[in-house]
Amino acid sequence: MAKFKQIFSYFPSTLSTKKFQGLFSVIEKLKGTTEKELRIVLLGLDNAGKTTLLKQLASEDVNTVTPTQGFNIKSVTCHGMKLNVWDIGGQRKIRSFWKKYLENTDLLIYVIDSADKKRFEETGLELSELIDEENLKGVPVLIFANKQDLTTASPTSEIAEGLNLHTYRDREWQIQACSAISGEGVQGPSSGMIKNSENDRLGNDSEYRAASQIHRTICERV
Amino acid sequence: MAEDSEWVVESIAGYLGSPEWLIPLTDFMENKCTVFDDEEENKLSYTEIHQQYKQLVEKLLENYMQEVGISEQQFLAACSSPFAKSKSLQALFQPVLATNDFQMFRSLMVQKNVELQLQALRVIKERKGALPDCLTDGTDVMSELEQQEMQILQEVLKRSKEEYEEELARREHLGQKVASTSTTLREEPVRNGSEPQAKAHTHAQPIISPSKKVGETVISERSSASISPKAPDYCSTETKTLPAVRAPVKGPALTLVSREKSANQAAESWLEEARKEAGISEPFQELTIAQQEQLQQRAEYLRQQRDKLQALKKGQKAKSAAAEETQLPPPAPTPPTPEISVEEKKKLQKRKHLAEKLKEEVIKK
Repeated sequence: MAKFKQIFSYFPSTLSTKKFQGLFSVIEKLKGTTEKELRIVLLGLDNAGKTTLLKQLASEDVNTVTPTQGFNIKSVTCHGMKLNVWDIGGQRKIRSFWKKYLENTDLLIYVIDSADKKRFEETGLELSELIDEENLKGVPVLIFANKQDLTTASPTSEIAEGLNLHTYRDREWQIQACSAISGEGVQGPSSGMIKNSENDRLGNDSEYRAASQIHRTICERV
Repeated sequence: MAEDSEWVVESIAGYLGSPEWLIPLTDFMENKCTVFDDEEENKLSYTEIHQQYKQLVEKLLENYMQEVGISEQQFLAACSSPFAKSKSLQALFQPVLATNDFQMFRSLMVQKNVELQLQALRVIKERKGALPDCLTDGTDVMSELEQQEMQILQEVLKRSKEEYEEELARREHLGQKVASTSTTLREEPVRNGSEPQAKAHTHAQPIISPSKKVGETVISERSSASISPKAPDYCSTETKTLPAVRAPVKGPALTLVSREKSANQAAESWLEEARKEAGISEPFQELTIAQQEQLQQRAEYLRQQRDKLQALKKGQKAKSAAAEETQLPPPAPTPPTPEISVEEKKKLQKRKHLAEKLKEEVIKK
């Protein structure tokens, strides 16, 4: 029980906001959560690069990604925490399912195709709807401005403005430029997915390390 | 307090091993597991099923706790006691933990699905002695790519068999010519008149039957009708009087079709090929009854030709040294056997592979 208390003190905001679910709060504790587990949900329009990002986070091959019809889950260990990352398909017809996956979420990662200007409005709309979800109340949002490797990609400042991120109240948010396909902005130097030369550059620039970004986002809340 | 929790753990463990718990849970899993495959991507329907599972477990556990009079606090305390962490109990608690762990739930369901599939395969095997062809391919387990590979493999097998049999026919033909020079003595040359006759008879048998088979398969398929136009060719040369050697191809080929029933296209393409091989220009549907009769006649005719050939051979053999006489028979009856055994082996291997794959999955998860 001491360990539970420790976790509680470590993540007071996370755990206390969770609704008491009767028996399942019991079962959750029963699981012996000595590990710090975080549930991260990856959302965004179709073709935003969610699954590629997920695979990149898990240091897997990103060349075999196909449009997601359902959802993918990967567990990534990061800074001693187990991150359970849920990537749910973004096609319009399955977006209505998103809300079934928001319960007990510790962090929302919202992925945007920075080069798809035509759909900025659509993606902004979807994000604002998510923000209003009861289950995501108070949950921090990390926005990945993906596909920065494309020359037509918009800069993060532009996207942040377009999404009216500054109007978000009672919500932590951050926007992060990245290229899920190359791993830039997603992976730390430890991944081995990035060439050594890049490692040196990225290694010095912690701004480009999404993993630590996620970590910071979580820790800042404690 | 420790004793108290120990008693509670034992009671809970007892419940988790009892039919009151196991039957509804197993029922649920068996009913819902069919959609769970081992694809990396999860289906949206999994979530719905997981929700239903949660509700079921919640209901069962709540009923149980009410019945026995355990509070949630006691339940929690018992479950987090070291006694409950023992390996044997962990397995019992797995279905409970799966309510809150989708990945665990998923692997339980996938495992159940594989178990059911294996069970079904076993039952089919027991009832029918062997698995039907459509199952040996494991169509629902194999990916499309594997299926394509299998089709190519079967096609290659078919081709090589044809070639082998053509080769055999040629050799048989050659054998008659070069008989006296090419062979080695393998049996005692002493032979009376009647023995070779009997021998020739027995060895004629297996050759006749395939020719019968031509007739049958051909008619049932209505595909090789054009053999008849070719008839004169066949009887003019002895090698070609042996189209029957191609007949065994039809047997396996037919099963090929049935095996690939699921892949309609494959079957069609095969039929198309068979038609081309047979040299038919018009589609099968246009074969008339008269043509079928022609086929039958053709089969009968072929059989007669075969008999004549055999008689001729018999005569030659009787004349030539008994050595070749004994050397010749083996190629004739044996060809189907090694061929079939190769095919059979492939099938067996396939089955074994499938079973191993399934078992592996069960064990792995």
